[in-house]
Amino acid sequence: MTVSTDLRRTALHDEHVRAGARMVPFAGFAMPVQYTGILQEHDAVRHRAGLFDLSHMAQFVLEGPNVAEWAETLTINAIASMKPMQARYNIFCNPQGGAHDDTIFYRLENRWLLVVNGANADKMWRHVNANPAENVHLTNLHGKNALIAIQGPKSVEMLAPHTDVDIASVKYYFCAEGTVYGHPAVIARTGYTGEDGFELFVAGEHAADIWTALLRDHQAGGLEACGLGARDVLRLEAGMPLYGHELTETITPVQAGLQWALKTAKPEFIGRNALIEQMERDEYARIVGLVMGGRVPAREGYKVFLGDREVGEVRSGSMAPSVGGKNIATALVAKEAATAGTALAVEIRGAKHDATVVELPFYKRAK
Amino acid sequence: MAQPENLLYSKEHEWVKIEGDNAVVGITDYAQNSLGDIVYVELPRVGKQIEQFGNVGVVESVKAVSDLFTPIGGEVLEINDALENDPASVNRDPYGAGWLFKVKLADANEKNNLLSPADYDKIATE
Repeated sequence: MTVSTDLRRTALHDEHVRAGARMVPFAGFAMPVQYTGILQEHDAVRHRAGLFDLSHMAQFVLEGPNVAEWAETLTINAIASMKPMQARYNIFCNPQGGAHDDTIFYRLENRWLLVVNGANADKMWRHVNANPAENVHLTNLHGKNALIAIQGPKSVEMLAPHTDVDIASVKYYFCAEGTVYGHPAVIARTGYTGEDGFELFVAGEHAADIWTALLRDHQAGGLEACGLGARDVLRLEAGMPLYGHELTETITPVQAGLQWALKTAKPEFIGRNALIEQMERDEYARIVGLVMGGRVPAREGYKVFLGDREVGEVRSGSMAPSVGGKNIATALVAKEAATAGTALAVEIRGAKHDATVVELPFYKRAK
Repeated sequence: MAQPENLLYSKEHEWVKIEGDNAVVGITDYAQNSLGDIVYVELPRVGKQIEQFGNVGVVESVKAVSDLFTPIGGEVLEINDALENDPASVNRDPYGAGWLFKVKLADANEKNNLLSPADYDKIATE
């Protein structure tokens, strides 16, 4: 399939096209939505391993002695307490508490890496530059550096032979600097699938070499190239928010159930007062998990009812292979409709379909 | 890719097999491949009168909802109930086990509005 040529291309574009991936516009890039099929790729990640090109996401390098202090004022989670080589999920909010973006900070030995959503790359670059500080130097590697993720239970055994880092000893949400197939890489034990795995931050010029070598060496062992379609199903099952769906400029981290990432003990950061007030009043609409009773999938934007009363709307939805093939969804609903076990209905093409509120995540891997 | 010769086609990527006064309808291999893994199919009720090229249901893949149009008008005689438990048969066998519904033709001339295999092939390989 052809995609209009004004889209940006990742360093792996030619590999995707050569493999017959279906390319779609996403965050200004031509990105693979699927290779063989979403369900097969999903299965590979849950049971073997999958390889993802995430180079549409933006990498900002943060350098200087004041990075932690500066970033604390812009984000809701703690930063100064991060250990060297630790990674931490964090959210940049607006003054009303809505989310500019959800991100991951990686604290390397002599610099920081901040990874922001591809769709928010320009907005976030403007945001961090609109809040400058002494002794903080920012570099935007969007479109220059590549990001390759290997995700799934076989990730360690497939990646280990090709790196000088003892990756089995890298803890979850930590990272290491080393090489992969001889190329410099930041190797982080992070991901967005609910499985074990690694994200490899590498120079764009080395990405195709690493990508093709991993597939060459491990395709027979079950490694599959995966697209963004499978990734979306995997993250939804794992209860992870997707910016633009469960988190937006108007859906706050409190509403999204991300209080664990909100450190109100920090004296000052953008959105603090609004978020504290929202939590204390406790009347906000909130993100819940829904499991549909029937076979009709719930989709973004469908209305949600408690009895005859409209109480919210679906934000993401999919058939979920790891939840027994049921249709699952997230929905933003009024507080009184948000308790696990509550029977709701989703309106689909004029008919109401049973749904039950469940605790997130839908899927948790066996440890 | 050559299209099955014994069928007629619509621009919306449905096929029709006309058998006397009746017709069987499905979606083409091109359509199922474009949609990806199909997880739900909503079909018209048996007994319903449907009009040629009208919207009669939906086909849902993991990612998306797509409208289903009928390439031929008439009364719905039968729907493929097996799709409720196995919608993926539309992916596996779009011209066989993945058929969608059967129609009693309203007007045999409607087939003149459909595409031949060769003409459909031009659309499907664009």
